[in-house]
Amino acid sequence: MIDLLLQTCINAIYAASFMALIAVGLVLIFGVMGIINFAHGELYMLGAYVVVFLYADNRLPFFLAVALGLIFVGLVGIAMERTLFRPMRDNPLGGLIVSIGFLLILQSAVVMGFGVRMEHIPPPTQVIFHPFGLEGVVLPLQRLYVIAAAVLLLGALGIFLRKSRLGWALRATAQDPEAAALQGISINQTARIAMCIGAGLAGVAGALTAPLVRTYPYMGHSVIVTAFIIIIVGGIGSLEGAVIAAVVYAFVHTFVTTFADGVIADIVGLLLMLAVLVVRPTGLRGTRDRA
Amino acid sequence: MSKSKSRSISKVLDGVSRRGFLRGTAAGVAGAAGVAAAGVSGSGRALAADKTVKIGFLAPLTGEVAAWGLPGLYGCEIWAEWVNGSGGIQVGGESYQVEFVSYDNEYAPDKARTGAQKLIHEDEVKFIMMLGGDTMPPVVEISNRTGMLVSTLLPSDLTPDTPNLIAPCEVHPIYNVTGVEWLAEAKPDLKTAVICAQDDALGRPSVATYLAAFEAAGIELVDEPLFFDISTTDFAPVMTSLMAKNPDIICLDTCYADFVHPLTEQAFQQGFKGQMISCTADFYDQMIAKTSAEFLEGFVFQFPDFDDPALNESFVNFQKPNAFFSEYAKRWPGEWGAVSWEYASIMDLWRAGAEAAGSVEPQEVLTAMKAGGTGLHAFGEAKWWGQELFGIDNALVGNWPVVVIENGKAVIKEYRSIPDWWSKHKDIMIKHFEAMGEMFYQRT
Repeated sequence: MIDLLLQTCINAIYAASFMALIAVGLVLIFGVMGIINFAHGELYMLGAYVVVFLYADNRLPFFLAVALGLIFVGLVGIAMERTLFRPMRDNPLGGLIVSIGFLLILQSAVVMGFGVRMEHIPPPTQVIFHPFGLEGVVLPLQRLYVIAAAVLLLGALGIFLRKSRLGWALRATAQDPEAAALQGISINQTARIAMCIGAGLAGVAGALTAPLVRTYPYMGHSVIVTAFIIIIVGGIGSLEGAVIAAVVYAFVHTFVTTFADGVIADIVGLLLMLAVLVVRPTGLRGTRDRA
Repeated sequence: MSKSKSRSISKVLDGVSRRGFLRGTAAGVAGAAGVAAAGVSGSGRALAADKTVKIGFLAPLTGEVAAWGLPGLYGCEIWAEWVNGSGGIQVGGESYQVEFVSYDNEYAPDKARTGAQKLIHEDEVKFIMMLGGDTMPPVVEISNRTGMLVSTLLPSDLTPDTPNLIAPCEVHPIYNVTGVEWLAEAKPDLKTAVICAQDDALGRPSVATYLAAFEAAGIELVDEPLFFDISTTDFAPVMTSLMAKNPDIICLDTCYADFVHPLTEQAFQQGFKGQMISCTADFYDQMIAKTSAEFLEGFVFQFPDFDDPALNESFVNFQKPNAFFSEYAKRWPGEWGAVSWEYASIMDLWRAGAEAAGSVEPQEVLTAMKAGGTGLHAFGEAKWWGQELFGIDNALVGNWPVVVIENGKAVIKEYRSIPDWWSKHKDIMIKHFEAMGEMFYQRT
């Protein structure tokens, strides 16, 4: 029984890491730009396909492909900000609609380039650890990569937001864009940085997990639904809330899947969101303001 | 190299002209055949290209279930080229070229409805082939109104209210009993099992079938079936749950190929040492690459590669199976899957029905296909069956192969009779179908 509990905890920590990378990026974009980016799941998908193209098809080293995935998707984020979201800055509904349109464009582009089938991505490593020396508990190195990346990247983001001038600018813009602009902060620049970081986090999540998950053009759908549940539970606009909610959701979902049923776990996840909304309508760490 | 080749073809199919792909192919072959024949044997063969019968292919070509649609369309392309290249089908003293018109239903019911209406009213097809499942109910409604003959790969779509719907090739999920029966005889030391499936119209009836097969074989289910949503991305918790009961057998039911792969990989990573069984193991070479040949050794499933010598048995009713597989592998390397041959096999039956009826009209072909209550299924003579389970005898049921991975290659171990199993254990099957709410009187 102890093996089962430990294994389930390890599964949950992996799931939390993976979801936190995606949800934090989504929150950052919403917090700074006020736009619900429905194409965020497709940015995650793009990161996975960078690994398909560079690592699986062209045999580049896995971590180089992951790094290039982060950069590429970050650049796509910058392009989205400039061409799609900036013209819609005063029109949140317009931003939502263009993100849905861009989602379909990204899906179609990947279908045309790679086909519809699940991609075969060779595992970069098959090393498996047995934490605590227990034979019945496994932690594949591939999964450890994701956990480590989440801790490092989200930790670095936290330091960046609190210790750097650009980070302060991002937080100021998230709190009050007009006041931030009056203080000389470039809204265009903060939006560009937020989009680059948010998209890059989604991209690196996709790139790192590509060998572990079903990599196909529509893989963003299920991820974005879970990400929205997480940011609602955490409090829309709160980065800390997103991380806490990712951990809570991942543990609840993983334990219910393991000890009951995957379908029941989905229902429990939604009930968790409803319960939080009833008890605390702004989410675990949200405020009545946007950020 | 092989991957890039398949990519380029996918690109053509997916992005440029999928719907017209087979239409163009058929027309091209027909034209080439006509030109060649005119030069060789005069106007008689040239006339062959004048009549064309259109067949609708209404299946998922994109999305999560595309692996059970698109490879079948590829197979139909070869079928059409071979049949049209040899003069077409002979109906009522006339030669017809066969043209496929495809419509991607994305495994979405509303798209299936739109596709059926387009195929019937705009393209004027005479027969529609589908995967079935969640996409079938709206099409049945249209079929009942128009009299259109429709085929499914899933006889669990059949009810007394589907007189124009036939399951002439794949008797999913009933054939899964043959794999369990064979396994119980081949490895009698296996006594316990667990099962998981996606929670949908493919997964649930298959779970009922496997539960019945395990019970009939004296294998104990040590946990309730574990269902997961089709949006599941991480299968580690699912496999952890399955392995927690320390079963001899892990059954992957009729999980989609996209699920069988990560589930198998998880079983490997989490150290499962027992037996695995699944309805399908599409692209099993990729599963081996992610695990090991040793791990996959002995994996039992139900769909052979068609280069298997056992398919050359005299009772097999499929034209040149080894050559078909070879041609398929040449055109789409690594794309062979469970349904690659099935839609083509259905076309063999439809062709026989049309030629016997002397007509391509749906109701006349249906009557001819079911004449005498028997038919030539791909794996031997079979009978139209299903009254007790589906409320209608519209499933063609006979033998089905049991396939095992040996030394990294799928091998047919045996053909087993589904009717024989049914005659011995039908009460068990009906019990589990009822418990799962899958009997025809529970579904209608």
